[in-house]
Amino acid sequence: MAVATARAHGYAAVTEAIVGRLRKIVGERGVFVDEEKLDTYSHDETNAEEYGHMPEVVVLPTTAEQVSAVVKLANETNVPITPRGAGSGLSGGSIPIFGGILLSVEKMNKVIEFDMDNMVIVVEAGMVTNDLATMVQEKGLFFAGYPMSLQTCYIGGNIAENAGGGKAVKYGVTGRYIHGLEVVTPTGEIVWLGGKLAKDVSGYDLKRLLIGSEGTLGIVTKAIVKLIGYPTATSDLLVLFKTPREAIDVVPTIMTRGIVPTSIEFMDQLSVRTSCAYLNESLPYEQAGAMLLIEVDGTSAEQVEQNLIAIGELCEEHGAIEVYVAEDHNTIERIWNVRRNIAEAFKVHSPIQSLEDIVVPMAIIPEVIPHLERLSTTYGMKIPCYGHAGDGNLHATLVKDPEMDMDTWHTNEDLCLRELYRVTRELGGKISGEHGIGIKRKSYLNDVIDPVEMKLMQGIKRAWDPHNIMNPGKIFDLAEMK
Amino acid sequence: MNIVVPIKQVPETSNVKMNPETGTMIRAGVETVVNPLDLYAIETALQLKEQHGGTVTAITMGPSQAEKVLKEAIAMGCDEGILVSDRKFGGSDTWATSYTLAKAIEKFGTFDLIIAGERATDGDTAQVGPGIAAWLNIPLATYVARVESVDDRSLTVERLVEEGYQIIEMEKPALITVVKAIASPRLPTLRGKKRAKTATIPLYNAENMDVDPASLGLRGSPTKVVKIATPKVTRGGTVVSATDEQSVASAVEQLMAFLESRELV
Repeated sequence: MAVATARAHGYAAVTEAIVGRLRKIVGERGVFVDEEKLDTYSHDETNAEEYGHMPEVVVLPTTAEQVSAVVKLANETNVPITPRGAGSGLSGGSIPIFGGILLSVEKMNKVIEFDMDNMVIVVEAGMVTNDLATMVQEKGLFFAGYPMSLQTCYIGGNIAENAGGGKAVKYGVTGRYIHGLEVVTPTGEIVWLGGKLAKDVSGYDLKRLLIGSEGTLGIVTKAIVKLIGYPTATSDLLVLFKTPREAIDVVPTIMTRGIVPTSIEFMDQLSVRTSCAYLNESLPYEQAGAMLLIEVDGTSAEQVEQNLIAIGELCEEHGAIEVYVAEDHNTIERIWNVRRNIAEAFKVHSPIQSLEDIVVPMAIIPEVIPHLERLSTTYGMKIPCYGHAGDGNLHATLVKDPEMDMDTWHTNEDLCLRELYRVTRELGGKISGEHGIGIKRKSYLNDVIDPVEMKLMQGIKRAWDPHNIMNPGKIFDLAEMK
Repeated sequence: MNIVVPIKQVPETSNVKMNPETGTMIRAGVETVVNPLDLYAIETALQLKEQHGGTVTAITMGPSQAEKVLKEAIAMGCDEGILVSDRKFGGSDTWATSYTLAKAIEKFGTFDLIIAGERATDGDTAQVGPGIAAWLNIPLATYVARVESVDDRSLTVERLVEEGYQIIEMEKPALITVVKAIASPRLPTLRGKKRAKTATIPLYNAENMDVDPASLGLRGSPTKVVKIATPKVTRGGTVVSATDEQSVASAVEQLMAFLESRELV
């Protein structure tokens, strides 16, 4: 099947001879072809039945030179190559949709250098982000590009997707902390982009182009990660509002008061109720149409407390029903758990769903909510809405009614997404804030993107990857593909 | 109904580090929190107050920083917090701690009920609650999972015991220790927090309490810690493998034999 699709798109199949050459490059133990092992690499966090595809061979290189040799071999033999981190992606970016070679960076997980003088750490792409965060925290430092899948994801994957997450309101997303990259280009050359530099305008910013390119412009092998001082004090507020509108309306008010919270997370009642039931948690959500989870951090406990109270009072003035305070680790974890487990909780209700991450200008969020309610009724599905309100980044999630048959679901999902994306565009937003386009949103991108922008992106892809072998078929298709 | 809730500050357990040489916990720089199991006692007390009126007073023994957990209790809704603190109380075991706390509660005045957590997550003894009841010579029910009813003279509670539940009627004043099943602790509110910030916490010490100096602190503690060691975790499991259809049967036999030998099947 894999071979058939690859050939249909003009790619060659992975032959015994190619497998043999891969073994020569990375060693016997770094290559496998047995189906059971390949299966793990055939999907990410998107629905495997819908988006999964088996690779023909998996390679686990340990050095940039090995990655380079594998990529050169792929070019020479016209075999597609798909780079992969931890596989926690939500857009199918690491799925080998044309079979071919799946290159996992999992064995490249070493710290190369801890440069305290320059406040950077140089690591390999397969480093687990959580390990990186823990390691630097022991030295009082902080990696602020915190994604929500922190426990499992790799820094390389975070870079490829320019991952967002819960702390972006204050700290921004992954890309902000990547000062340099060692990359294997789609033609197999090894190049360092950027450096241990805070500023760099020496030519095009190719490093930034790589960040968020979803593995289509090269494979990140090492990264220079900028660190900042660890915020020693953290506190949270859980604020209950009668309606989503009231909750969202308070966000710009907070943001314009000169206090920058670390996170402002939004959860509608359906999300909270489902997550609480899943966790056996008893938050008083019955009265609340929506909740905000607001985090404040800093290096002075007094300052954090002051900011916390100021924000809390602001919420009270703007109609909050109740403001809860979480100042110790246990309580903070207790309320964040509710937020983090929403997606998982809905999987119990119905494993078939479409997790979206539309992004709109922050102040526009209240205008999105009625559209979600309308779409929910029109297409007969639950659409819980939660996400990073402070960034305008909403995880409106289409959840299949367990009673709905699959054909109707597919039709309705497609219609609903098209309409959701159209509305998002009309409101000045984009269809993905942090999960990426991958294959999941590829067919919708054309509808909502300026044709000039699309042409430029495709031009870049052609220039970087003349044989179109580096993660092909992601973000967009090229016209010359069959 | 006036309720007293003895609480303890414990190290936040997710990042506890042990000193490998002494076998003791490194307390420096470790955040302290209200003993998580005490939150259930606070919640039970607050619910009883909501139903029957009265006051809820949290009391803790510890260094001056322990004031923090009292403020947390006030933020949750307790009316008052009392700090029992004196260098002379340092090094108390559960005997001396329960003695000192009992004396502090006597000083506090009349009460109808004392509600304690099941145990503290650091010491894990579950002795201080029952100890206080013994010193005060009042009825005690441990592992309470439900307060069935309360009237002027008595209360009826449901205790969790190994065989099931035990329903006990006890005269007031009494002491109960509660398990997690009893309630889900509420979150502290901003209103409560602001009240806690300005609340004055009375200090009870060896001078202003009616205590026997010989029963205090390390001196008054019959428990002597001889050695603290971290047990080695050994998991010497046996792997029973079944790689093809033929080996399944013999693997199952091996597993069954093991389970039978342990009388598990």
